[in-house]
Amino acid sequence: MLMTGNMAAAWGARLGRADYIPAYPITPQTEIIETIAKWVRLGEMDAKLVQMESEHSMLTAAGAASLAGARVFTATSSQGLLYALEMLYNISGWRAPMMLINVARALAAPITLEPDHNDVLAARDTGFLQFHAETCQEVLDLILLAYRVAEDSSVLLPAIVNLDGFYLSFTREKVTLPSEQDVSTFLPDYNPPNPFRANMPVSKGATVLNGALYSYFKYHMHTSSIRALSVFEEAALQFERIFGRSYSPVEPYMMDDAEFVIVISNSFSTIAKQAVRRLRERGFPAGLLKLRMLRPFPSSLVARYLSARRGVAVFDQNISLGSGGIIYPEVVASLYHRRNRPQLLLPVIGGLGGKQITVEEMEKIFEAIKNEIGAESPDPIFLMRQEELETTKNMVRTAKEVQI
Amino acid sequence: MPLITNYFLALTLDFYILTQPLIVIPDKFLMILMIVRVRFHGRGGQGAKTASRILGTASFVEGMNVQDSPVYGAERRGAPVTAFTRISDSEILERGYVFDPDLLIVMDATLLASPVAKVTDGIRKKGAIFLNAQSANIIGEHYTLPSDVRIASYDLTSSAMEMLGKPIISSASAAAAARLVGLVKESSLEQAIVTELEEIGLSEEMIKKNVMLGRKIFSSLEPLELATEESEKKLRIVPLEMITSNDGLEDIIAVGNSKVAKTGSWRIFKPVVDYEKCTACTVCYAYCPESALILRQDGKPEIDYDNCKGCLICYRECPPKAINIEREVIAF
Repeated sequence: MLMTGNMAAAWGARLGRADYIPAYPITPQTEIIETIAKWVRLGEMDAKLVQMESEHSMLTAAGAASLAGARVFTATSSQGLLYALEMLYNISGWRAPMMLINVARALAAPITLEPDHNDVLAARDTGFLQFHAETCQEVLDLILLAYRVAEDSSVLLPAIVNLDGFYLSFTREKVTLPSEQDVSTFLPDYNPPNPFRANMPVSKGATVLNGALYSYFKYHMHTSSIRALSVFEEAALQFERIFGRSYSPVEPYMMDDAEFVIVISNSFSTIAKQAVRRLRERGFPAGLLKLRMLRPFPSSLVARYLSARRGVAVFDQNISLGSGGIIYPEVVASLYHRRNRPQLLLPVIGGLGGKQITVEEMEKIFEAIKNEIGAESPDPIFLMRQEELETTKNMVRTAKEVQI
Repeated sequence: MPLITNYFLALTLDFYILTQPLIVIPDKFLMILMIVRVRFHGRGGQGAKTASRILGTASFVEGMNVQDSPVYGAERRGAPVTAFTRISDSEILERGYVFDPDLLIVMDATLLASPVAKVTDGIRKKGAIFLNAQSANIIGEHYTLPSDVRIASYDLTSSAMEMLGKPIISSASAAAAARLVGLVKESSLEQAIVTELEEIGLSEEMIKKNVMLGRKIFSSLEPLELATEESEKKLRIVPLEMITSNDGLEDIIAVGNSKVAKTGSWRIFKPVVDYEKCTACTVCYAYCPESALILRQDGKPEIDYDNCKGCLICYRECPPKAINIEREVIAF
């Protein structure tokens, strides 16, 4: 079927047999909830959908329902995620393995609708497992995989699956829908530990007022998150057996003999892959490593794939103002103790607020990796094309002076 | 997918994979693959997004790989809208804005003058432009069209007015694109029109009329057999210092600069005041959401056609029915 990323996410909820969907609208996520609402109304999906009064309440309800043993699904974007952020820390602390879809949209101000990843990466320290999708098919498949990993008794942490606004949310492409039966084999009903039941009193999210107790539980969450990596790999093996599609926490593309590599996540990976293919046609040994799992951060795999390459660029579609890309230092940390680490780790910032990226810009990054090898301290690249700057300056000028 | 190294195999082989390719990349992967990129330029309400989806579904029915998507911001009737359909016989390694279309579908020729829409930007050498217009020659006399491209035209809006009673040309534009690209059978186009219009909840009768309209346009055009070439592109990434000048505040301090954007070209119908009937009641003046009605000395309205978007609220609200509407064709 041809479907948008939003539609694929709704199918993830439906095929994953979500029981409870608390909702609050925000562009570009709204189509997901609209679709589910329609299915519930028509009786095609057996779930309870409730419109809440804010994202904060929505996440609170989601976490609580998960503790009662429901399989919970919800979705938001951008400011909505930030408004709910406080609850994300609570929900992971409660060990409530619910699903939150983030349809990436850059944060205000300035206000925009198009994506970058400052929204979803703001949730990186919350304890939510985090997955980034490149295609509409991946949106659906990662939801099923993430439910399976999140609900695993050795993990018990909530999960976020990120898809980019516009580039996936409103883009239709071919998606293969698995059968309900196959999905129930892969993803059995959720079996919660100590769920809220009238006849079995249980307190969750207790006050500790004690640093050692607090540390103990935080360390436990941390190790559970780290465990999610191997649980994911195991689940992915079964996923491939049943559905025929293979997923690893990172995806290498034309990496076998690659000397110059770009590290990237989400939907712009497609454009970077085209650049790699075009460069290969010209005999340039380019390669790409896509990060599919951001939490836990797959450091050992990143190190394994990037060691012994000549140069690596990290493409961050986000910016920690005053520092730089958010993913770059994580890649650097993964490689620091490798004896055969690449000679160059080049930071690149691009695609903020959905700034369009051409395949030529991606090619330029590879050229820059090659040229910068040997540099003492390579300057970060901030992508902006000449013609984009000219158009921008015109608009800025119009805002300052009327030209009639 | 031979290009994705099997990670689990890689695990057992560890560092070995870094020097020894596990899988030989077949030559066909390095061949240039068939891909057609269609970019639709229309105005909010004309059906550009639906057109891109109809073309997408029709090509998908034919067994092609397809990707379609729209670009829009804060949606407004009349504002420039862009939508894309990519059609390929193999994996589509592209995403987002189509910078280098093989075929442009221009649903409203006045967009050719828009500095925002940038309609003809990036078109490939030997690509094609389809104009929704009675005569491509006349359009060519008034707008600069790129050289080294082929031009086709048909008056879709008149056909839509005649057959649907509305200036909505989603099916007509999709039919034109499908025919010109030449990869879609008429039956697949019809199937796609039905699927997509059912999806947006149109009545059975309206869907039938759209199918008829699609058929008419499809049979009125001939495939172009496009064989386009990549245009030369100059790429310069500007250094950060050039961005961090003193223009960094996003404050808008120029008062009334929305006048700069002449929105008069958004109209399909224009309101015309019948001064004989007008009683100078000023109801139109109160209702005009764009302040595009100015009151004359005698209290009767004068329409600012440079900025009137053609919403026709004045026409609907006028108590003595002293405002008429006229279909606006680019008149030269």
